Amino acid sequence: MVPISYNLRSLTHRKATTFATAFGITLVVFVFAASAMLTDGIKTTLGKSGSEDIAIVIRDGSDAELSSSLDQPNVGIILSSADVKRRADGQPDGVGEIVAVLALDKIGTEGVSNVQVRGVASASYAFRPTIHIVQGRQARDGAEEAVVGRAIAGRFRGLALGQSFEIKKNRHITVVGIMEDRGSSFESEVWTDIETVRSAFGREALVSSVRARLRSASAYPAFERALKSNRQLGVEVMRETDYYARQSEGTGTLISVMGNMIAFFFSLGAMIGAMITMYAAVSNRSREIGTLRALGFSKMSILFAFLLEALMLSLLGGIVGVLASLAMNGTGFSMMNLASWSEITFTFHWTPQIAMSSLIFAAVMGLFGGLFPAIRAARVNVLQALRS
Amino acid sequence: MTDAIVKLTDVGKTFWRGTEAIKVLDGLTLDVADGAFHALMGPSGSGKSTLLNLIAGLDKSTAGTVQVAGQNLSQMNDGSLADFRARNIGFIFQSYNLMPVLTAAENVELPLLLTKLSSAERKKRAITALRVVGLEDRTGHFPRQLSGGQEQRVAIARAIVNDPKILVADEPTGDLDRKSADDILNLLVRLNTEFKKTIVMVTHDPEAAERATTTLHLNKGALIEQRTKGAA
Amino acid sequence: MNLVSLAARNVLRNKFRTTLTVLGVAVALLAFILLRTVLSAWNAAADYAAKDRIATRHKVTFIMTVPKRYVDTIRQVPGVSAVSYFNWFGAKYERMPNEFFGSMACDPRTMFDVYDDVRISEAEKQAFIADRQGAIVGDVLARKMNWHAGDTVTLKGTIFPGNWTFHIVGVYTAASRAVDRSTFFFQWDYLNESLPPGRRDQVGWIMSRVDNATQAAAVSQRIDRIFDIQDVQTLSMSERALNVSFLAGFSAILQALNVISVVILLILLLVLGNTIAMGVRERTNEYGVLRALGFMPKHVRLFIYGEAITLGAIAGTLGAGIGFAFVNFAFGPWLEENMGAMFPYFRVPAEVLIAAFVFAVLLGILAAIIPATRAARLTVTDALRRID
Repeated sequence: MVPISYNLRSLTHRKATTFATAFGITLVVFVFAASAMLTDGIKTTLGKSGSEDIAIVIRDGSDAELSSSLDQPNVGIILSSADVKRRADGQPDGVGEIVAVLALDKIGTEGVSNVQVRGVASASYAFRPTIHIVQGRQARDGAEEAVVGRAIAGRFRGLALGQSFEIKKNRHITVVGIMEDRGSSFESEVWTDIETVRSAFGREALVSSVRARLRSASAYPAFERALKSNRQLGVEVMRETDYYARQSEGTGTLISVMGNMIAFFFSLGAMIGAMITMYAAVSNRSREIGTLRALGFSKMSILFAFLLEALMLSLLGGIVGVLASLAMNGTGFSMMNLASWSEITFTFHWTPQIAMSSLIFAAVMGLFGGLFPAIRAARVNVLQALRS
Repeated sequence: MTDAIVKLTDVGKTFWRGTEAIKVLDGLTLDVADGAFHALMGPSGSGKSTLLNLIAGLDKSTAGTVQVAGQNLSQMNDGSLADFRARNIGFIFQSYNLMPVLTAAENVELPLLLTKLSSAERKKRAITALRVVGLEDRTGHFPRQLSGGQEQRVAIARAIVNDPKILVADEPTGDLDRKSADDILNLLVRLNTEFKKTIVMVTHDPEAAERATTTLHLNKGALIEQRTKGAA
Repeated sequence: MNLVSLAARNVLRNKFRTTLTVLGVAVALLAFILLRTVLSAWNAAADYAAKDRIATRHKVTFIMTVPKRYVDTIRQVPGVSAVSYFNWFGAKYERMPNEFFGSMACDPRTMFDVYDDVRISEAEKQAFIADRQGAIVGDVLARKMNWHAGDTVTLKGTIFPGNWTFHIVGVYTAASRAVDRSTFFFQWDYLNESLPPGRRDQVGWIMSRVDNATQAAAVSQRIDRIFDIQDVQTLSMSERALNVSFLAGFSAILQALNVISVVILLILLLVLGNTIAMGVRERTNEYGVLRALGFMPKHVRLFIYGEAITLGAIAGTLGAGIGFAFVNFAFGPWLEENMGAMFPYFRVPAEVLIAAFVFAVLLGILAAIIPATRAARLTVTDALRRID
């Protein structure tokens, strides 16, 4: 076996070429990892919004809360199910909320963008214990006040603490608090009083959805069966986790298709780059190879040595690319969610799995790029190589 | 020595390897008469290639003066040196140094690209030069399709195509078998006698040196022996 | 023969490496062309949007409607030549529930006056007006769903619950790139009559055409001023401005694609630079010979630039050619068919092809700067000494 230090020295010998090739692979791995991080971020942002033991009820036939509406009296009927958990005060642990979309001026751009508005009661805050007010205070029931998610606070006109926005002509809502929820999609919402939203949007006595915390996650099938069999209600029931997985589908697919396509083309280019470098290395060192062979190294060990060199080259690039992608972790990426037509801020989410698959991706590029040159190296004719 | 075409006076050449000075040539004085055929001999590191480079205007001396074809090379900048080489010097290398992507005729034509000659005129001259070296039937061949001796003859045609006064040859027969080497030496002698070219040739080969009119022996940067045929 | 042709011949000398390089560059250019085409197709909606059409909608949110009587008011506004109105419907075809398509209620009597770039035969238009349950579909959608004039289809409403039966009476095509050829249009009257009395006579948005496109902004303001004192305020903007604000929601993606297309150019530079540097290193001896023959450093530089330009031009031609063929004959038609709502027109713009070619050549030159400068700076004796 040819010692590894031989490959290492060969790589450091031709610094410029090694650098150019490794840097190319770095760029490819970075783009690959970043798109995987964003796809993962979309899933976690929307995934965090849902829990296993919560069921969401919307009108049958509607895709999302936004297009759904249920009559207020149905809220009581839905929550009266025995499968719904009780709060300390004996009331069922569930909320009926109304969702609307508001066009607001996006700071830094010329246009308006849509923001999701949720009409809530104070029970909504208690219902989601992971939500914390990080600045200011909770909005009071019945007041013209709002709490804004951290991800959009300050990014739209009127959505900073202490500012106000118009929900209807001459009807101003003041932002009294900023909330945080582990990066979930609620951080991209505006929460204000349910009656305010109803009257502003002409949806009196309606809700968009009902959420109910079940006695346990396993109580869900019975809950679903009971509601669906009630034809008069005409509702669709889903686990909250399933609901948000569906909400992330369109946007997640868009990003991952684009990302994978770009990574595919990039990797072809990088593989060819690695191949050029390795072929040049082989032809420049045919004399060295001849000498090694004359010293008694086998064809296999030459093949292995050059493959190893290509692998080290690509892993060098890959490691730098992964480190660079690590710097993107937690960065916000704001875009329109295709399911709600409103803006959501997703964050790049780094995971060890993404790092691993990026390194494997780099290694595969190196091995494919190095395979043919290594075969050529193994086939070098000893006598000719020494004579040249 | 009335009309010396090459006149070296007290020439020194020092290379620097880090802080260590290496004197390759030291106080060398040499005249080469117009129309002479000089062979330069000496062991490796004796400075014979350096001397050749100085005469050819490829390198500059660090001491003394180098006068070639009436011009003082020691005082010329890189641009004028290139121009000087193009007009006055024809090069012949040990490993021929032909452009592999060019045909024999195109290789010969190469130095003429520096002149203002028309394309047709350039081609005509290239063919003429190839005829001189006896390769007019190989004009369209690429170097890889020629034998070593033929390659060297193309290189000689390239060296004479712009009609220089001096031919500079660095081991012109070093890579050739005896037969081809003799052909090349015959050609050089003919260029010397028939076309009146001054030739300075570095060689290891005593038989090659025999063909020159004057043989110079160098050792450690100094001229130790000069022997001219018939003059001894 | 001249120096440039000599340089060009040198490119073909190491055929294998040149082929690999050209392939690598072509692949990268293909990715570049794809990205730029995505960007331009995305912007096409805005670029080709009619400037003489104004959309008027609810001021606060797109999910709310405006009273239908506003249509008649707008018709009286000076500068307006034609007015029509629409409602977003939202439907699924039960047999193919995963195929998303836009569905809208429209007024067939006035719609074609406003959308003069929607092409439909007079007979089909009259049939559409005559049949209360009539519907027309874009040719792309018709092909995808296998619908033909004369078919009866039942759609399930997502916003307006229930099953709705339509008669397809015609298939429309587009005379401009702004028109989505995958939309399902049906009679507004049919929708309106089916609604409970309290929700009737509401329209989602009103489209009007102005006499003079330069007056679009002024007319928009005039319209909004009329309704400012009414219950429901409006927001009017030209179709172009509307599309621009929609695109703003995806600005982060557009920016990312922009950045990535620049990264591609960087990879191109690395691949080209690597190949050129290797070629120059291997040919250093030849440059020494040229210099010995009397050629100047500037000739050597010219020589290396000549090689780089040839390499860039070959790769640029191939890359642009492959990109053109791939997008216009394979990928583009597929995308228009399957994601027509997002990319109604997906073809490579000529300027993208030219840019791809020019970039390949320019990057070739850029990549040659360092090798050319270095080679020109070598002394003749140093260059000649490097024999192997």
